[in-house]
Amino acid sequence: MQDRMRIMVVDDEMIVRESFYHWFNKYGHETETAASGDEALEKLERRRFDLLFVDIKMPGMDGLELLDHIKARYPETFVVIITAYGSIESAVKAMKSGASDYLLKPFKPEHINLVMEKIFQQKALKAEYQYLKNQFGEMTRFDNIIGESPAMTRVFDMIPEVAESDATILLAGETGTGKELVAKAIHAKSSRANHPFIPINCGAIPESLLEDELFGHIKGAFTGADKNRQGFLEIVCGGTLFLDEIGEISMKMQVDLLRVLEDRKIKRIGSNQTTDVDFRLICATSRSLDGLLTAGTFREDFYYRINVIEIRIPPLRERKEDIPLLTEHFLAKYSQQTTKHADRVDRGAEKILKSYDWPGNVRELENAVERAVVLSKSRTLTERDFSFLKAASAAVPEGRSLIEMEKHHIKAILDECGGNMSQTARILGINRSTLYQKMNKYGLHRNMD
Amino acid sequence: MIKDREKHTVGLVAIGRIPEMVLKVISGHILGYLNLPTCCLPAQGLPQACLDEKRLQYDAGKIIQHLESCAFADCTKILGLVEADLFVPIFTHVLGEAQQGGDHAVISLSRLQYRNNGTRSSEAEFYERSAKVALHELGHLFNLFHCRDSHCLMHFSGTIETLDAIELNYCPACRNFLDGPRRPALASIGPDG
Repeated sequence: MQDRMRIMVVDDEMIVRESFYHWFNKYGHETETAASGDEALEKLERRRFDLLFVDIKMPGMDGLELLDHIKARYPETFVVIITAYGSIESAVKAMKSGASDYLLKPFKPEHINLVMEKIFQQKALKAEYQYLKNQFGEMTRFDNIIGESPAMTRVFDMIPEVAESDATILLAGETGTGKELVAKAIHAKSSRANHPFIPINCGAIPESLLEDELFGHIKGAFTGADKNRQGFLEIVCGGTLFLDEIGEISMKMQVDLLRVLEDRKIKRIGSNQTTDVDFRLICATSRSLDGLLTAGTFREDFYYRINVIEIRIPPLRERKEDIPLLTEHFLAKYSQQTTKHADRVDRGAEKILKSYDWPGNVRELENAVERAVVLSKSRTLTERDFSFLKAASAAVPEGRSLIEMEKHHIKAILDECGGNMSQTARILGINRSTLYQKMNKYGLHRNMD
Repeated sequence: MIKDREKHTVGLVAIGRIPEMVLKVISGHILGYLNLPTCCLPAQGLPQACLDEKRLQYDAGKIIQHLESCAFADCTKILGLVEADLFVPIFTHVLGEAQQGGDHAVISLSRLQYRNNGTRSSEAEFYERSAKVALHELGHLFNLFHCRDSHCLMHFSGTIETLDAIELNYCPACRNFLDGPRRPALASIGPDG
């Protein structure tokens, strides 16, 4: 026999309980018995059982009633019904109520072995299903987005609310803030969760290819189109389409997508036939779409169509209180993935992580922790392990505009002065109110760490 | 080897009409496979209190209780041999029954004498089956569980067909268990205790 199980035999006849008890002992199973349904429920309340053998005919609570209680309260527990010849009808009823199998007593010893074999198989399948479900949950679960700051709490609160509707959502946030994770969480919480979630980065695909990816084509539509091909708008069928960097798509594509959103129909490239499509659209942008509207590179009608609900994902520098939590999460992740066992950061390292600006946001923090874990030789990550961040912070990146240079310089002096505005203003040669105005303009905050 | 082997003697009790040769064969196998001495205890009649008149079979559990009630001196493990067919209440029949990690077991020779088609088996077949069932039940007395290895003596067999399919030997894992320090008895409490 395979694994040992925890089994309970529920029968009002002591002789039957004894027979089962001794039989299961011979297989090394941990066996308990109960003389009534009430006693069985009491025992189930105290500890978990893998399998129950339940006699269908018992005074008081009968086997079928007990089965209902078990299936309602402990659905993971397998139940095999024991019945006498002539009660087949009850056995069938029990099977319909969720019993895994039934035994007609007295039965041949090999029958119970067959039943046990079947239970083992069901148990293994259940365990496999649970494992795969957990793996899937790992990819989509809501709490994959880490944060307890007020800014993130607002986002968390919005996710279940917006998930219920089918409205188009615009996620606005800098690169690396976790827009796709939020989109996945919305999808996972929505009624479309059992359908595909298809993410497309519009900025990474040339326009002609993007059109083909979205709409598909028919054979002969263009050179190389040697067979019909479905686009993601069809493939997503009932699911969620996530268009990242929506600000990068051309005016023509905006018109095409607007039409799809209005009509819920598409035409494959080269085809005159329309096909109905059913999907929810979530768009994301790291650029200011208002700026694009002003510049005339983004259509107003399309903008209002995709911006039914806007969720702003805050950059990491605006939720620095989440950094320790995120660091802990990434430490656990990379300690598990690598052979290193770094599982904490010291105060010096924590100070660096909190004072750094994180232009690449959570993604940059994740990369930084991964790099530190891989290169670290001890269990505790120190300031030294994150020294590359200091260098990056101090270096003035090339090719930036004067405005960016000014912002960077003010930030550097402000950090150097530990957030002391008078001292910063003195060094910069400007007065406090000018410094205050500039800080507001650039979204800079006093870092008191 | 079985721990404290020198302290163990297996007492064989013929209950009803048991051919002397079967006792000799089983005794020889216990010595050969388990390296344990045996002694033949006084033969007994079939206790009628153990007969289920509806089923016309003897209750294996009751026979074990009967063996427990007999004080057999100088034997640590007792194996009863019954000519009649045995049952336990949940099963149609059993070829043998033993107390897991206990001291008393019983085997039935009734079904070992016939082939599946109802014809009488040869003596060699009958003796070999008797030895297999005896060594299997003794395995339980030394706290061996049923084994997954379908060739092992401790693999469960409820029919003559499956009994014939297993080999007259313990698998390496069960053999190691017998040769190593014994596991503590699984259950010291009863089914309702």
